[in-house]
Amino acid sequence: MNPPEAAVAPQWRVMLTDWQIGEDDIEAVMETLRSGWLTMGPRTQELEARFAEISGATHAIAVSSASAALHLLCRAAGVGPGDEVIVPAISFVADAHAPRHCGGTTVLADIDSPTRPLLGVAEVEPLISERTKAVIAVHMFGYSGAADAAYELAEFCAERGVTLLEDCAQASGARYPDGRWVGSLGLAGCFSFFSKTALGVGEGGIITTDDADFAAAVRSLRSHAMSSVTWDRHRGHAETYDVGELGYNYRLDEPRATLALSRLGRLDASLADLKRIARAYRELLADLDGVELTFSAAEIEHGGHFAFPVLVADGATRDRVREQMRLAGVQSTAYPALNLLTEYLDPDAAPRAADFAARHIALPIYADLSTSDQQIVVAALADALGGQSGG
Amino acid sequence: MNPLPVHPRTPVFDIVIEQEDLDAVAEVLRSGWLTMGPRTEAIEAEFAAHIGVRHCVATSSCTTALHLACIAAGVGPGDEVIVPSLTFVATANAVRYCGGQPIFADLIGSHDLGIDPDHIESLITPKTKAIIPVHYAGYAVPIEAIVELCERYGLALIEDAAHAPDAYVEGAGGAPRMLGSFGASGCFSFFPNKVLAVGEGGCLVTDDDQIAATARLLRSQGMTATSIDKQRGEAFAYDVVGLGFNYRFDDPRAALLMTRFRRLHGEIERRRELVHRYRSAFADFDAIDIPYSDEQVDRSSCYLMGVRVDPAIRRDFRARLIERHGVQTTIYPATHRLSAYVEAFGEVSLPQTEAVCASLASIPLFPHLSDSEQDRVIAAVKQTVEGLS
Repeated sequence: MNPPEAAVAPQWRVMLTDWQIGEDDIEAVMETLRSGWLTMGPRTQELEARFAEISGATHAIAVSSASAALHLLCRAAGVGPGDEVIVPAISFVADAHAPRHCGGTTVLADIDSPTRPLLGVAEVEPLISERTKAVIAVHMFGYSGAADAAYELAEFCAERGVTLLEDCAQASGARYPDGRWVGSLGLAGCFSFFSKTALGVGEGGIITTDDADFAAAVRSLRSHAMSSVTWDRHRGHAETYDVGELGYNYRLDEPRATLALSRLGRLDASLADLKRIARAYRELLADLDGVELTFSAAEIEHGGHFAFPVLVADGATRDRVREQMRLAGVQSTAYPALNLLTEYLDPDAAPRAADFAARHIALPIYADLSTSDQQIVVAALADALGGQSGG
Repeated sequence: MNPLPVHPRTPVFDIVIEQEDLDAVAEVLRSGWLTMGPRTEAIEAEFAAHIGVRHCVATSSCTTALHLACIAAGVGPGDEVIVPSLTFVATANAVRYCGGQPIFADLIGSHDLGIDPDHIESLITPKTKAIIPVHYAGYAVPIEAIVELCERYGLALIEDAAHAPDAYVEGAGGAPRMLGSFGASGCFSFFPNKVLAVGEGGCLVTDDDQIAATARLLRSQGMTATSIDKQRGEAFAYDVVGLGFNYRFDDPRAALLMTRFRRLHGEIERRRELVHRYRSAFADFDAIDIPYSDEQVDRSSCYLMGVRVDPAIRRDFRARLIERHGVQTTIYPATHRLSAYVEAFGEVSLPQTEAVCASLASIPLFPHLSDSEQDRVIAAVKQTVEGLS
């Protein structure tokens, strides 16, 4: 009855991401299903403990998605009506939605440069007001950026009394140059288990923080702020549970926690593969006319490699190149600048973001991308660009 | 870390995952396509057809489905929405997510735990925007009367059918009409202790194209294209045209939902049989009161088997059942008495709800509960009540 694979991927020679799920992953999920315990149980606890250990955070709290995580981060950071939160215009729209879900206002900031689509102090500083409550730094495409810039931003936020939150949805395993995981500079960070990532399970995410009170608040709000129903209470010491405040259902369930936990065991190996592929892209594309690399070779070394963005001359070229690559069977993607979306329309707010959004192409990258498939991608890009100059 | 509770000898609910369920999930995982795709589309189509409406929008939970239903109904700041108090807190929370105020209506009485249409009518004001009745335990509220109220006062009807997949009422000419199909939206839960369990999950069903479009749009951030559209080459870029959420379901859960859904009707039949056996066993037992009638059981999804005991003994009744007999029970706190609601909206008096919430407990009910195990529960319940009376 289930539709064949063709219903999902009819035409691609090289997909944007094509992560394989191993038989050991599948067997782990089967075992959880056989147990009959499907939510908030030992696998979620184990995932949280393991993720905290690997990322170096004191606390990890699994949630239904990174979007849910961002909402909880804003809520637990105290964002409410009248508060402003600064978000980079090159990010995913969930970053902009999250402050508004708390009744706050989203203020879009421009990026450092088209070749480094991240927030820096220079972009944030002019937007700080008395109402600024938080800044969400987004590790776009899995890159934490240059060492100094990230630390400067953290220092700046601390000086101004503004909470720094980190969206690491695309950056599982990415590190700062000193070796610490992303998510560790701010009050809290969050990661995604969306399907197209190294830790993909379908829908899911996880929050990391070193702050015990923040972790407790997030944990409570994740499940409707219900006071826990422990075995002792159940045996008659307390009749029921209470609900202390307005919470949500942002729980992960046990099958997904199991899959994330299983995949987490291979994260380091996946990151090594991704780094090799990213380095190869930089070599293969270095001499290709019309292509500009993003980030630096050094930044690539400690990145999470969610996608591999490159720039071409202008928006018209980009659209034509992506279309020709599509016809050649190579899938690519591109992110809109948030200030050009209907919901956040403010075209002049972030010119560098608009320029990046118009000119970038995110190329396929995933741990199992073969050398020959990578060559197909590069050839398709070169052919498309060659067509531009009439060659 | 909290240790998990030791599994009680007879839990209040339990599910069995069959080999066909495992095979279906394994197949999706091997396919590598995990987010919403062909499996989600397939179960949405099948569930909509089962309920008898045109659209089903699968969501991350019933809570998020209720939120989307409230948005689609236009609930916003200053609006009031009438809800019952005997329900999970999500029903009222959904109204608050939109900035609205939940107004609690009392239930009919100890014989029928549905929301009282007469009390609903007395609470309607110019600010009232919608009514969210809950088909508690899988038993229909007086839905025709509530539909009539909504039509008369121009209110949106959202059915909280979290407990009620496969439950129905007899419509015109005696033809069955599924719960969840009466409202502008109906919301269902696939939470692990529900009759159709997959883990976290839910859905919104509707006959209204506009409501379905709104729910679909806001389920996925307000984005005009989804990952599967892009994968299929049907979308190259997207816009964002609303303040949306990530309230998506995913394909592994959809595959599990499909195989379990196909066994649902048989499981509900068994639940009804078990409820009839409980009712017969307690019929002449004065210290136990059972809500609803035999006729209502036959149309219910029989999610919960509620028994009412003297409020003075309920705490000890539950404690002794688990400690001496390994029989687990659950209870619902009244939503209007929860701290979060007292703090936000002050004290509200709902005499019928308070009386029921003080006396009600749910005893084990699940399709593979054997007759002999059920007999053991019945004996334990009787013995415990007698020992405390």
